[in-house]
Amino acid sequence: MNSPEGTKATPSQRVLDRLSEKLDHWLGEVEKAKPFARSGYQTEVFQIAETLMGSMEGLRLLYERAHLFESKQVFQGGPWADASKLQPALVKGSLIGAGVYPVVETMSELRLLAVAAGRATDSALTRDEARDFLNEVMALNLEFVFPGDTEQERIEGGPHRDSNLRLFALIAEEIGLDSLRDEVVSEIEQVTAQHPVLTQRVRRMVRMAARIPGPDPNSDTSRRLATFSRAVEGPTELSRKYPQYVEYRTAVKEADRDTLAQEAHDFAESMYATGLVAAHHAILLRHLRAKEHELLPLALHLNDLGAAELAQNAETVDQLIQVAVLPGTAQSIYGLRGVLERGLLSRQEVTAGLTRLITLDLTTDVRRMLLRQRERKSGNTANSVLVAGTLSVLGSPLGVGQGRNPTCQAARGISLWAQHAPGFLIELIIAASRDGAIDLPFEGKTWRSDQLHSSKSLELDLDLDPVSVVLVPHLDRLYDQLMKLVALRGEDGHKWVNPALYGRWVPTGFASVFSNPAQTVVSGYEDFVRRFFATHHPAYNDGHALMYPNPVGLCVTNSHGEYLGPHAVSLQRIEPDPRGQLRAYFYNPNNEGRQNWGEDVRPSVSGHGENPGESSLPFDDFVARLYAFHYNPYEEGDAYAVPDLDLKRIEAAARNSWGRAFTWEPTL
Amino acid sequence: VSDDGRDDTTKRPSAPPRTALLGFSIPAMEALDRVGRPFIAVVPKEFEGYMKEHGIAYEVWDFARLNERSGDLAKRLADRGIEVAVPLYEETVEWAGALNGHFRDDPRLFTRYLLFRDKAMMKRRAQMYGIHVGVFEEAESKADVLRFLNRVNQALVKIEGDVADPVHLKPLASAGSVGHRVLATPEQIENLSDDEFPCLLESHLDGQEFSCEVFIHRGKIRFLNINEYVHLGYSNFSPAGPRLQKWRPQIREAVEDLIEAFEIDDGMIHPEFFITDEGKISFGEVAARVPGGHIFELIESAYGFDPFLAFILCVDPRTTEEELADLFPDESDFQCYSGCLMVYPKRRVVTRVEVPTSLLEEDYYERHNLFVPVNTKVAERVGFGNHYGTVYFKGSDATKMRDLLLEYEKADFYVADSPSERQDAAS
Repeated sequence: MNSPEGTKATPSQRVLDRLSEKLDHWLGEVEKAKPFARSGYQTEVFQIAETLMGSMEGLRLLYERAHLFESKQVFQGGPWADASKLQPALVKGSLIGAGVYPVVETMSELRLLAVAAGRATDSALTRDEARDFLNEVMALNLEFVFPGDTEQERIEGGPHRDSNLRLFALIAEEIGLDSLRDEVVSEIEQVTAQHPVLTQRVRRMVRMAARIPGPDPNSDTSRRLATFSRAVEGPTELSRKYPQYVEYRTAVKEADRDTLAQEAHDFAESMYATGLVAAHHAILLRHLRAKEHELLPLALHLNDLGAAELAQNAETVDQLIQVAVLPGTAQSIYGLRGVLERGLLSRQEVTAGLTRLITLDLTTDVRRMLLRQRERKSGNTANSVLVAGTLSVLGSPLGVGQGRNPTCQAARGISLWAQHAPGFLIELIIAASRDGAIDLPFEGKTWRSDQLHSSKSLELDLDLDPVSVVLVPHLDRLYDQLMKLVALRGEDGHKWVNPALYGRWVPTGFASVFSNPAQTVVSGYEDFVRRFFATHHPAYNDGHALMYPNPVGLCVTNSHGEYLGPHAVSLQRIEPDPRGQLRAYFYNPNNEGRQNWGEDVRPSVSGHGENPGESSLPFDDFVARLYAFHYNPYEEGDAYAVPDLDLKRIEAAARNSWGRAFTWEPTL
Repeated sequence: VSDDGRDDTTKRPSAPPRTALLGFSIPAMEALDRVGRPFIAVVPKEFEGYMKEHGIAYEVWDFARLNERSGDLAKRLADRGIEVAVPLYEETVEWAGALNGHFRDDPRLFTRYLLFRDKAMMKRRAQMYGIHVGVFEEAESKADVLRFLNRVNQALVKIEGDVADPVHLKPLASAGSVGHRVLATPEQIENLSDDEFPCLLESHLDGQEFSCEVFIHRGKIRFLNINEYVHLGYSNFSPAGPRLQKWRPQIREAVEDLIEAFEIDDGMIHPEFFITDEGKISFGEVAARVPGGHIFELIESAYGFDPFLAFILCVDPRTTEEELADLFPDESDFQCYSGCLMVYPKRRVVTRVEVPTSLLEEDYYERHNLFVPVNTKVAERVGFGNHYGTVYFKGSDATKMRDLLLEYEKADFYVADSPSERQDAAS
């Protein structure tokens, strides 16, 4: 492990003594201050903390006081105030940021470290919870735990990178690295199980995980990790032998047919097992396209249907491989496989649409955004990035993610259209990339996205797949505008907005637990649950399966069951899992790995009959977190037949979790 | 309760508020809260959420608009028991005048406060009362500025080839040094933009510049702080060192002249003067709100009393002699010199803060609040305003204080990490 301790001149003991004296003084002032005046005193503490963070000795000094931070109100009034509401995924953004954020974040980690060490006993978190939290933070920030010395890592580490390295050295020292490897590998498995369209982050994690020292290369964890490392770096004999693209290309050109078949087979198996595609796979595929066409089905891991589809659309596939499949966009091979197995190329509108994307005139903005997506020296054009991205979305519709943006609605739309209206989705992509606008009719008037403003889309984090990069700014603005138009209607606006935004696949019946548009009062909860059973539970809805994904609203909670906010997901299907338990399978646009919603509700992404990209919960748990859904009013089953006991149990679960944040109107 | 009805409300939170604070200032609210004296804060709309969140009594008011509806605000405040308005920011000064005029039924108060809002007018007033000022003129155009520069230098009997004496341009109604420009060449004048007019032009005054923070009650000086500018807009310290302090009697006289000229009964003023080595004092300008340059913080640190509370109590004519006596220490009784350096990035793009270890080792170093700016692109500086952070010093020797402030002004606290720089360092 690199030692960051030597990176800065160590301040003298006298300076440290003075700083700690001042720190104690200002901690006292923060505690004494009235809440309205506290922020000024907090700033003094943050400033001293920042200076202390400049050396390992200083950081330890700060850590010695970390058990006092909460009781002295250091975090009061900001997003760090309630330790139980902290999220490991947000830590990195703060640590690499500017202003006071990296300092507050560091102090917050130190306070959790003090909790994990058993020094702080007045926290909202238990020792184990703090330890779990920090383990997850380490898993998500391996580049700080095991720093490399590339220029890129230095730049991405933010202005406080050296302090961040010291912080993680301290965390690692205090809580150890024993469970980190397991943690990281299981995170990788949870994420890849969903076959995300955007794989950069998980690839990075796989590469980082290799840095974690593991004494036993034969352990189960090491073997699981090795599968992912190979999938990313080179899962075949030749790709391991010739990691350089140019050399691999030469090797492939000189290889005999058996060798090529072996390569194709090994790539395909690795891709199928992990959902991750190695860059060399693209080089092989390009070669097979030109020289050994009949090996393509093998290289793509196609089933019979996919192979037939490939045979029938050989010319289109050739064209798509030529344009979109390059080492920098190799992940699109997995998308291409999905497109073929779904038979999408036999749909005239899809083939025509994809062909159109190859030569489409892009607006300057779109071109710039797409080029920013590609790796340097990849040779991809903006159009090829867009075609590759479109293949990925069409091939794994449930792998679309919202990234770090509050735009679950837009991601849900893209996923829904990729499943059921691929031609329409391509039309939207064409309109947004060529015209820079999307039209959406709503109740007799057509809205154009480029004439609307949304403060939110200005801050869009572009760490997204190419299709989302192109579409989300428009979809988000349209969604905002529609919600504004219906804001005063006295009911949840999604009743009208969802069918208008997503299309006629959404049934017009709508039920919500909230009686007022401000969504503060829960009323008619029992009726709501009965109706969901009568329209969605196979025992009460005359056995109707869902025809299209249902855009439903969930109340998301943290691991303590405390309400965090509303979240848009799509209910994909309701079926018994392999063990016979009835489960709700849904698409969650946030693509998170492990999730814990408190009260033992943990959505799973694998192991319970999930298709890649699906999350699932037992039916009752799902219902207890639901606040709104659509239904077909002509397909209501037997609401009266739902047993009271089930209703009572679900209501109790709702009231004890997110329901604590709301007023409940007594049942009439 | 004293017999003339001036009951002491300071220690009774249940008493109705009688003070309105004009503008949002946490230290001012804190000062009153500490002594249990209720108040109403009159704040711009954007602070409404904050006031609600913390349950602080407030009125929302837009100080930027014209003064014509001050009657409404006065009535709203009077209905809630307010009798005194305290101006915390430059743009609230005339509102304080208008409101206090309403509360005391004395329209002339407003006009008097207006003097503080027009730098040309205040100079004229001072001049009319026999106070020494430099040559000044109002200017409407660049041609006016050029003529003023030429006339001043002609009067100084400069001939072609001599370096011209600069002139100063200041907006008529801006706080402190915002928009202050020093002009010495026709090119600099040509580069002025039209929206800088009308403005005030002044000849350059030689000598040491300093400010006074004068706490006045019933027309008498209750406390006079002299604040030494080391480099205007960058550094100052309080109280001033011996070089200025030896002129304290003369400075006090100059301030008394000003109080008389401006007919000030209650409140605090913050005038700026120049003094030559021979003790000749010239008046620069005067403000009637909380001074910039963190001077209140410096006073508190040096003298140990809360200048915000002092200001607010002085504005209130009903404050008692005892309250004032309790509050103010002897002017010569300071614990240390307290100074600050206002730091402004020297580069166009900054990505990191680097505090020299020598500063941390320095005995006089107190604290700083330099954080990495959220926006890496540095904003253009307006006048001497908008510094990015401040470094505070404290110590017993005025000369050393001065030297430190000048020394660290040269330090590059805000640095940029460009990839190429890093590589140079690594190789």
